[in-house]
Amino acid sequence: MDIPPTDAEFALAEVQARREQVVDTNLVPTWFWPSVGGLMLLFVGAMETGVSWVMAVGTIVYTLGLAAVILAVVRKARVQVRFELLGARGIGAILGFAAVLVVIGVGLGFGLEALSVPFPALLATLPVSVGLTVGGPALMSYLRRLMLSRPLAGSR
Amino acid sequence: MTPRFDELIHAPTRLSLVSLLAATDWAEFKFLRDSLAMSDSALSKQLTTLEEAGYVEIRKSFIAKRPRTSVKLTAPGHEAFAGHVAALQEIVARAGLAVLPDQVG
Repeated sequence: MDIPPTDAEFALAEVQARREQVVDTNLVPTWFWPSVGGLMLLFVGAMETGVSWVMAVGTIVYTLGLAAVILAVVRKARVQVRFELLGARGIGAILGFAAVLVVIGVGLGFGLEALSVPFPALLATLPVSVGLTVGGPALMSYLRRLMLSRPLAGSR
Repeated sequence: MTPRFDELIHAPTRLSLVSLLAATDWAEFKFLRDSLAMSDSALSKQLTTLEEAGYVEIRKSFIAKRPRTSVKLTAPGHEAFAGHVAALQEIVARAGLAVLPDQVG
């Protein structure tokens, strides 16, 4: 069966639009990143006070807060994007992003501690939180572009 | 991939449905229904047609005592969809129209 080329073009545009819909549904929402960053700051800050009750409250707030944030994201996921769309480059970008933040946080933390700067962990977590807040949405934007650039169909 | 126009997939609603499924490992029935703005019965009918053709697999499960229906495109479904997309791209390319980017760096 042959169809008019314009119909075929519309059909291809529909295929692309539906992929876009799936990808957008799967991306981690923007509010997730500052929420996690804020919770991390709160937790580390509470730990560094050394005051038992502050540490206890900080731990509880952090645990419950993180659980709520993750639960909200998971509950929103009603579809699992095809792994092949993310691919090795996508996984690499996610791991790279996480590695950079860990290196910054740990490196800075130990560095500040060696210099006897007060609250080294809290100060080291600050750029990590900013990195999450700014870098998280940027990472999502990159992953979106990557997933939309994959061939419209292909072998599994 | 050998281009093969698939009339079963090309029907407007089914093209949208299969396009959604082709981008997923699995999708919830509710997600498909809401995305396509279809009624439960209309979507069920389309899914049954695709299931009979061996293009989709429908799984019913219970999560926290709530029934959940998930749908996935089967390997033959992916193959048929890929052939159909290739056929569409061929028609468009033959006419000298713009084909959507197949691979962007």
